[in-house]
Amino acid sequence: MILRNSAIGLALLAATSVQAADFKWASTTDPQTMDPHAVNSAPVLGFLNNVYEGLVRRDKDMRVEPALATSWEPIGDGEGWRFHLRQGVTFHDGGDFDAQDVLFSYQRASGEAADTRSWFAPIREVNVVDDYTIDFMTIAPNPLFPSSIANWMIMDQAWTEANDAVVPDKETGNFATINANGTGAFKVTAREPGLKTELEPFDGWWDEAEHNITRAEFNPIQNPATAVAALLSGDVDMINPVPIQDVARLTGNADVDVIQGIEARVIMLGFDHQAEVLKYTDDAGKPNPFRDPRVRRAVAQAVNVDAILATIMRGNAEAASQLVSPAMSGYSEANAERPAYDVQAAKALLAEAGYDDGFSFGLKCPNDRYLNDEAVCQAVVSMLAQIGVTAELDAMPVRNYWPELREGNYDMYLLGWSPGTFDAEHPVRFLVATPNEEKKLGSWNFGGFSNPRVDELLPAIQSELDAVKRQAMLDEVAQIIQDEQVYVPMYVQPLVWGTRSNIGLTQRPDNFFLLRWVTVN
Amino acid sequence: MFAFIVRRMFQSVIVLLVVGLVAFSMFRFVGDPIDNMLGQERTQADIDRLRTELGLDQPFPVQYFKFLQGAVQGNFGVSYRQGRPVSTIIAERAPATLELAFVSGFLAITLGIALGVFTAIRRQGVAANIIMTVSLIGVSLPTFLIGILLIYIFSVELDLLPSFGRGETVMIGNWSTGFLTASGLKALILPAITLGLYQMTLIMRLVRSEMLEVMRADYVRFARARGLSDRVINFRHALKNTLVPVITITGLQLGSIIAFAIITETVFQWPGVGLLFINAIQFVDIPVMAAYLMLISVMFVTINLIVDLLYYAIDPRLRVDARAT
Repeated sequence: MILRNSAIGLALLAATSVQAADFKWASTTDPQTMDPHAVNSAPVLGFLNNVYEGLVRRDKDMRVEPALATSWEPIGDGEGWRFHLRQGVTFHDGGDFDAQDVLFSYQRASGEAADTRSWFAPIREVNVVDDYTIDFMTIAPNPLFPSSIANWMIMDQAWTEANDAVVPDKETGNFATINANGTGAFKVTAREPGLKTELEPFDGWWDEAEHNITRAEFNPIQNPATAVAALLSGDVDMINPVPIQDVARLTGNADVDVIQGIEARVIMLGFDHQAEVLKYTDDAGKPNPFRDPRVRRAVAQAVNVDAILATIMRGNAEAASQLVSPAMSGYSEANAERPAYDVQAAKALLAEAGYDDGFSFGLKCPNDRYLNDEAVCQAVVSMLAQIGVTAELDAMPVRNYWPELREGNYDMYLLGWSPGTFDAEHPVRFLVATPNEEKKLGSWNFGGFSNPRVDELLPAIQSELDAVKRQAMLDEVAQIIQDEQVYVPMYVQPLVWGTRSNIGLTQRPDNFFLLRWVTVN
Repeated sequence: MFAFIVRRMFQSVIVLLVVGLVAFSMFRFVGDPIDNMLGQERTQADIDRLRTELGLDQPFPVQYFKFLQGAVQGNFGVSYRQGRPVSTIIAERAPATLELAFVSGFLAITLGIALGVFTAIRRQGVAANIIMTVSLIGVSLPTFLIGILLIYIFSVELDLLPSFGRGETVMIGNWSTGFLTASGLKALILPAITLGLYQMTLIMRLVRSEMLEVMRADYVRFARARGLSDRVINFRHALKNTLVPVITITGLQLGSIIAFAIITETVFQWPGVGLLFINAIQFVDIPVMAAYLMLISVMFVTINLIVDLLYYAIDPRLRVDARAT
């Protein structure tokens, strides 16, 4: 309590001295914890990127650049990676940063209780060479490891031990759930979960500050209309997201700016590849047509993605040809063409597969997970009706949705996927590889698609050091996915932020908002 | 009397237990908290492990029994979302809701009675007719629309009042109050009007019709015949006699103001228990939902119990019946 009061006092002092560089922003979700290893979710990691830092970080264009490590190089013939750590870095509480903190953070983030454990699956062991050098030994050559740990944040061993937070605790919480002590550009000065979080710049930060903020405050605002009103009235300086339907209105307002981009998330339709029969509508019990690639291709050709983008997304999104967007590494240029919208061709494919008279089936869809997700599904239903296929739409909140998909309660479903590593290998591992609990493969491949060639190529892609050979294999996988029409990728989800017009900031495709690039003019 | 109280208490406990049972049987239809708690790179093993740790693999009567076991010892469990004890979170959030409910209740009663009397006395006046028409809006427009409308007018267009939140608060012991700061008071105005508008129109219309009724009564006519001033007749004789039903209704409405602050709190991002409950539903935060529902039902049961006891004290017929059985 004393700590919080003094923090508020400090914040008030700062607020009165330099009013101009006060910055307030709002988003729909409050980060549920301040512990960087407890929850692997975008709201948490995005927020904590302001407070904690990893060995590497991503720049404005998502390229990996040095952070707490100044450089890194492969060990031997791909046995692992050696990181050289930055010297003279201190944590917010004044503690020094060295290799022991990295080792400790590795143990903490890869432990049983950590949600970030899967990031370290390729790691065999970690060795501290000296105070500022540390080796990560991998099970197989792993060219992507340095870029896969940009969100792995380093904690101070002494601080966590002193505050009894050595192990992340998601269920009951501990000191690190509400308090933070990173090396980042901002430190958390007050935290009231679900209400507001206050930050101040960290004077001892090792890097040059590009921002001019003296105090920042984050408020979660659930109701989109309230958030828009708060932005318009100047109660907050930035909101994320802006509801698609309000974009036009805000663009016409001189006091605010709308910043648009595309997110890394690809929205697609998925099928049940395993089920023998359909499960929904009057056709339940009849053979499952989606096991035939021609039917899946017919769906792809029947969906008019451009129309969906123009009407439902109001021109704010981009059509997708594969499971990743062109901004990701490993994107297959060779497969950049998506099946053309062609009702006649789709009908012909259906006839060829023996479904001249069409069929009916159940489409499951979330209604609060992706932008305008239910409306998109409704559009898909009416487009499929044009080729004589009747879809029965069942839209539900996402908290009911995932359990339904896990249970296999769908004939077709909607899914969005954002690759955590920003590489084309990620969706292959999670969405296309044959589900294998032990090897942690295909954990989101609900439909149970299985292709031996993909399964064979995946480990090779993961350990290939030569970029050209790697891309060739990724191209082959993308080709298989497209030929088989495993999924029907539709579009890359738009990213729409709103700011007051005196704010300058950078929007990154991972939808992370970083205070260190904000300028208040 | 004693037997009556014991019987009523016993009934109240049964009601509470049934409410809890119904709540717990519904929770699995609300959704699955596991996916919200684990990241996208989770495996089936992680899902199963967490489910077992949280006891969600148990049938709901068992979960309910465990909840009751903790609840009677004052332990409502730990929030899935925040990882903190539910009792702490609710204690933090309760002042916001109670202050909002108090202010809007106060507004509803004072304005409701004043306008009710006014419209009853000036039945034919232009002002009274306007008030009556406008009050229709209060009854017919949904709360969230009124809230958004007020925000649009007073925050966005006129820039007079904050569009969301509670402003600066001051801690008095464990109670965070918005009454002591200018921004806290300003932040209260719009949510209080939004929440209280319906109750205000209700009270106003009730007072008006009761007043009209009483004004036709013989004793008012006699009072007039005696040459008493309008003011004495209106306020000392008429109003006093209209207040009995008003008090009953107001008492019952107090509970609903607190319980149904949910919508107002969501629109204004007001950090009270209603908003907490909405968040809990979205996240399937079962311990928070359970504790909130139980608290609200305890509140309603208590209010009803008090009302029943008051009736018993006031109405002699109940006592006669009790003796007869």
